[in-house]
Amino acid sequence: MSLTVESTRFGTLEIEADAVLSFPRGLIGLGGSRYTLLSTDAESPFSWLHSVEDPDLALPVTRPWQFFPDYEVVLGDAEAETLGLGGDATPDVWVTVRATERVEDFTVNLRAPIVVAAGADGPEAYQVINEAPDADVRAPLFAPGS
Amino acid sequence: MLSITRRVGERIVIGDDIVLHVQEVSGSTVRIGIEAPKETPVYREEIWAAVKEENAAAARSAAELPRGPLPPAPAQ
Repeated sequence: MSLTVESTRFGTLEIEADAVLSFPRGLIGLGGSRYTLLSTDAESPFSWLHSVEDPDLALPVTRPWQFFPDYEVVLGDAEAETLGLGGDATPDVWVTVRATERVEDFTVNLRAPIVVAAGADGPEAYQVINEAPDADVRAPLFAPGS
Repeated sequence: MLSITRRVGERIVIGDDIVLHVQEVSGSTVRIGIEAPKETPVYREEIWAAVKEENAAAARSAAELPRGPLPPAPAQ
């Protein structure tokens, strides 16, 4: 089973049902309940979190640790329980990218990562608030002046 | 906007499944406990607004992202 999305950015997308991430709370301020992760360039560190409901809604994302090796996500107990975390399983974590005209100016939101956890009916993803004190909403990806 | 006066230890119920507990008042600071269902996230307003703005900015990104080689990462 697959579904088709006529993406305004990427044209026709065929998305396998098991590649659909359920977002029970949507994305903060954007809503949406179902997205998929799209890699359009195998050599790029950036992927796209693309809505399967709105063909115009897509956000560039990246895995934080390739840029911030010491990055930590700190969640309250209630939040961790909601996500079904707590065991040894390492969830898949992504951060949204503010992709400006110059790559040197790209920033990521370390304050509100997207955590993908195993749900009862396939993967569930939540955009959570990271309680770590130094998590910046607009953290530069690249060194200034580079 | 509805305004309700409560004392420490009293609660406010919103709908059937959201409960706010007034836990402590100290000067201009109020500590509030919140019980809400898992589907109802609770945010501090300023963080919610900042994340909303970043999500909207990310969603305005054009399809063509720059390709490597990428500049060096910031110092940790």
